[in-house]
Amino acid sequence: MAITRNPQPEMNIIEIENLSHRFADGTFGIEDINLNIRQGSFVVIAGLNGSGKSTLLRHLNGLLRPTGGGVRLAGIPVQENLLQARKFVGMMFQDADSQIVGETVYEDVAFGPENLCLDRDEIKSRVQKALRAVGLLDLAHQRPHLLSGGEKRRLAIAGILAMEPRVIVFDEPFSSLDYPGIKQVLQYILDLHQSGHTILVTTHDLEKIIVHADRLILMHGGKIVRDGTPADIMVDVESFGVRKPCAYRLGVEAESWLN
Amino acid sequence: MAELTSFSYTAGDSLLHRIDARFKMAFIILLSLVGLNAYFRELGFLTLILLGIILRARLPLAAGLREMRYFLILLLLIFVARVLSTEGIPLIDLKYLTVSRPGIYNGVLVCWRLALIVILGFAFISTTPPSAIKAAVQWFLKPVPLVPEKKVAVMMGLILRFVPVILNQAAETAAAQKARAVENRKNPVYRLTKFGFPLIRRMFERADDLVVAMEARAFTENRTDPELAAGKRDWIALMVVGCLCVSLIVI
Repeated sequence: MAITRNPQPEMNIIEIENLSHRFADGTFGIEDINLNIRQGSFVVIAGLNGSGKSTLLRHLNGLLRPTGGGVRLAGIPVQENLLQARKFVGMMFQDADSQIVGETVYEDVAFGPENLCLDRDEIKSRVQKALRAVGLLDLAHQRPHLLSGGEKRRLAIAGILAMEPRVIVFDEPFSSLDYPGIKQVLQYILDLHQSGHTILVTTHDLEKIIVHADRLILMHGGKIVRDGTPADIMVDVESFGVRKPCAYRLGVEAESWLN
Repeated sequence: MAELTSFSYTAGDSLLHRIDARFKMAFIILLSLVGLNAYFRELGFLTLILLGIILRARLPLAAGLREMRYFLILLLLIFVARVLSTEGIPLIDLKYLTVSRPGIYNGVLVCWRLALIVILGFAFISTTPPSAIKAAVQWFLKPVPLVPEKKVAVMMGLILRFVPVILNQAAETAAAQKARAVENRKNPVYRLTKFGFPLIRRMFERADDLVVAMEARAFTENRTDPELAAGKRDWIALMVVGCLCVSLIVI
């Protein structure tokens, strides 16, 4: 079943209903999550390590199967068509190194389109477009392990872009990056949002990203404990183990890391 | 990872670079078989041609030889073993060791044959991108029953991709243990287990991460086939190599 683009900008692109995931040892990874994400929104999901952020994200493209409830993408249940779900939701993992599978930059970006059985010309055009978008076209024949940390994240983004997803999920995108690396990745996340993608970012460090988000969701113990605009939720973040960004502590206007 | 970089693909536009990987693979097999049965004159002829082609393709031969240093030690050991184990009229006669003329002859011959095969491998690896090698292997395995050639090709690619990652991880584990004075423990079994288990555990964790990441990018065995194109040039090269092999055998 194909997922077609919905022209309504205000539609819920992701609908999560009573979603639960219980691990083999009986503990809940996430419990009874209800959440709708609007198309084109920029959502930050924050919480302690182990609060269920990554578990939640992995249900969006069917990497984890729910033990209760379900996820619908543009109205279609994820389990009904896993391949479509994986095309629909691109996912960038915390460790870019174990996400890169190609022996060269070009081959890594081509991995996704090859899995979609596209023809060679289409693959070439998608790979070039994706590499151009993240500024790695000149390094197309470079071996990935020789790239810097920031470049590896950009390569991971290109790998996702080549599959032309509508939603892009970033799991702790800034971990172990230096300042220039953080700025580069942040810029690309914002560019992707600008170009119409729905963006979900998980983090336990709001400082670098919150000024750009239009919605903040706090998770704790596998449940959603707060959900609203960043300004409304910020009052409570520290009671759930997330550090309040400096600007909010000092009561000054929050500024982007890109300024 | 510098030690991994020169014994690998070097971009270029030489004849050797442009020949289809499947043909190059066939050449290696043919020339290795001929080389293994060749004697000094034929080996000299083959080596000269090969070195000429390598130099013309501007491959980093000196760097390649530097990386082959451990192999050269192995060759030396083989040479010594051959020299000492071949009987004949002794040239040098120590109490327990005798070096004979046939021994030296035999040792040089065996080492030369092996070196020729390694140089062939060097020329192949340096002029063929890993993706083309993978594609060629997939093509050769296609008619073999019960072998999932696409899976094999993906696995080959992953091995090539993850060797540097594994070496990095090993170096990091080793450094972390040195920082906690593991060198003070002289028992090699203790050191090996303390080094091996964390490394293997980390590798399995990485493999798990990799599986999830591949699934997220819709991995399937039924993927777009790699691009391979054989032209007139490749067939001419095959004929030349074929004629060379036949003439070397006949001579």
